[in-house]
Amino acid sequence: MGATTFGVRSGGRRLRSSSGLLTVRIGGLSTRVDARAVVVSIGLALVVALGLAWSVSVGDFPIPITDVVGELTGLGGAGRSELIIRQLRLPRALTGVLVGAALGVSGQIFQRMVRNPLASPDILGVSSGAAAAAVFAIVIVQAASTAVTGFALGGAVVAVAAIYVLALKQGVSSYRLVLIGIGITAMLDSVVAYLLTRAQLFDAQRAAMWLTGSLNGRGWDFVGPLFASLAVLLPLAIVATRQLRALELGDECAAGLGVGLTRSKLALTLAGAGLAAVATAAAGPVVFVALAAPLIARRLVGGRCVALIPSALVGAAVMVFADLAARRLFTPTELPVGVVTAIVGAPILLWLLVRANRIGTGG
Amino acid sequence: MAEDEVADASLAPPIQHEPGTPPASLAAEHLRLAYDDRIVVEDLSVAIPVGAITVIVGANACGKSTLLRALARLLPPRAGTVLLDGKDIRRLPTRTVAQQLGMLPQQPIAPDGIVVSDLVARGRHPHQRWFRQWSKEDQDAVDHALAATGITALADRSVDELSGGQRQRVWIAMALAQGTEILLLDEPTTFLDLAHQVEVLDLLADLNAADGRTIVCVLHDLNLACRYATHLIAMRDGAIAAQGPPAEVVTADLVDHVFGLRARIIADPVAGSPLVIPIGRHHRPDREG
Repeated sequence: MGATTFGVRSGGRRLRSSSGLLTVRIGGLSTRVDARAVVVSIGLALVVALGLAWSVSVGDFPIPITDVVGELTGLGGAGRSELIIRQLRLPRALTGVLVGAALGVSGQIFQRMVRNPLASPDILGVSSGAAAAAVFAIVIVQAASTAVTGFALGGAVVAVAAIYVLALKQGVSSYRLVLIGIGITAMLDSVVAYLLTRAQLFDAQRAAMWLTGSLNGRGWDFVGPLFASLAVLLPLAIVATRQLRALELGDECAAGLGVGLTRSKLALTLAGAGLAAVATAAAGPVVFVALAAPLIARRLVGGRCVALIPSALVGAAVMVFADLAARRLFTPTELPVGVVTAIVGAPILLWLLVRANRIGTGG
Repeated sequence: MAEDEVADASLAPPIQHEPGTPPASLAAEHLRLAYDDRIVVEDLSVAIPVGAITVIVGANACGKSTLLRALARLLPPRAGTVLLDGKDIRRLPTRTVAQQLGMLPQQPIAPDGIVVSDLVARGRHPHQRWFRQWSKEDQDAVDHALAATGITALADRSVDELSGGQRQRVWIAMALAQGTEILLLDEPTTFLDLAHQVEVLDLLADLNAADGRTIVCVLHDLNLACRYATHLIAMRDGAIAAQGPPAEVVTADLVDHVFGLRARIIADPVAGSPLVIPIGRHHRPDREG
């Protein structure tokens, strides 16, 4: 083992430029993380954990939060509540956390890659591809819900691949990607509209429900594949962050810094679109999370890091609390989570933007 | 105030050069460069002098930025080759090239809210790996690049808040942090007022003097080009019209040929380099018609 440096560098001395950053060096390995991002991430993780426990605790059959914590940490059994916790509420809440995290990371990747804070995986056809395929499965094939999920995943992947290939022209320019994405999205949306006009009333209702985005009835069969996808795609995204930091300076600058443009854009698209696709397949096209979570995370963390992990945690928190609100706000009626995400997320985003403008750091 | 901080090129991060090898050279042979169907440069060969400040000048759309982009392997040539150390630059791994050759484009993009030290740190990209993201050398190179360009005091400021001149120094610091032997700059003085133009060029001249870094830049202002270039390349219609030390190549005929401008050349009273005085339609002593 070589020397280990671990400390916050202060800007006091001349020739010191990295205040607020933690440098970690172990032998030949080294990395640098933003101290503020670490603190923010820990705080956000606690918020997510709180939301998760709260979400499992409330319902038609209330369970004391101490029982929930005991059951989740494996300390004390919750007795007869165990079944409700393990089989019903926990998988649903966990699906929410994973979907939110995937959408948060995906949004951050696309906003940075396209250099536009309004970009989200939707412009690359993820939602509309999934929606067209899912509505097709519901209305024409009359498929069961598991099959609908499969169709949605396939539709998202095909739409993204089509947009990416069409945007190819001596490499992929972000500009072309956005324009072609808008075109294909519009086409797919009209396919959805057409299918809905052809549908029987029951199918149309089912399709509308799916199109809003919902976590209702999501069990362990959703958590497993979601977790596996995140376990593969999140590390890919984190490794590709290094290229993203150069790509943000413009294609020419990035190429000058030795970034292989085609390869790194492909990797980032794969990670970002993959995450959005599995999330959309699991919960439907939940609006706003992929757009707002990265912006909220960026405001919380500041301009020093790409904020992939904070964005994942913000996405998870928004999803969990939105689903909590969707379940309990109008009891006994349950709303689909997609109705609530924007209502929960927008005020946070607006507050952060207004505050940033007041103190003069608004972008 | 930060504005008073003096740039000191002797503090520039050391060029990262393999010991025992000659300094990196850059040349092009029989280049044909085109955008879509429009050929901009045809059969151009050039050797960039090592350790010199080469300035490329020419009228708008003469192909000077195109040539620079090709030399930086940002534009693949339709024919011919760019040679870095005698090897085809397209066949070298792009990372390896980025360790020897840095390029500052005309309009790089500063991400929203980025702070100065973070932007400069991104110049270290070609020296990093996913497992080695912030070595001691990275830290030293960034610290020295900030000091060399006189922006240490701005390190924690947001780039959005800076003036045009300060911002240009930040970008040059980023290119310096890359630690390359060859530095290409596409119109680094555009959008700057005269005082800041001179400041940026002084900085480049200091860097060249401090460690013999090879500098190639495209400039619009012919007089500043004559003042700062040790080697001048004048282009017209995608070909090199003349090249050499400014005092030898800049003549009234050349200015007329390259820019379509009648001018008188006198010695710059400050530097002794050629000073181009445009004549224009209203002040012709001979009024030829």
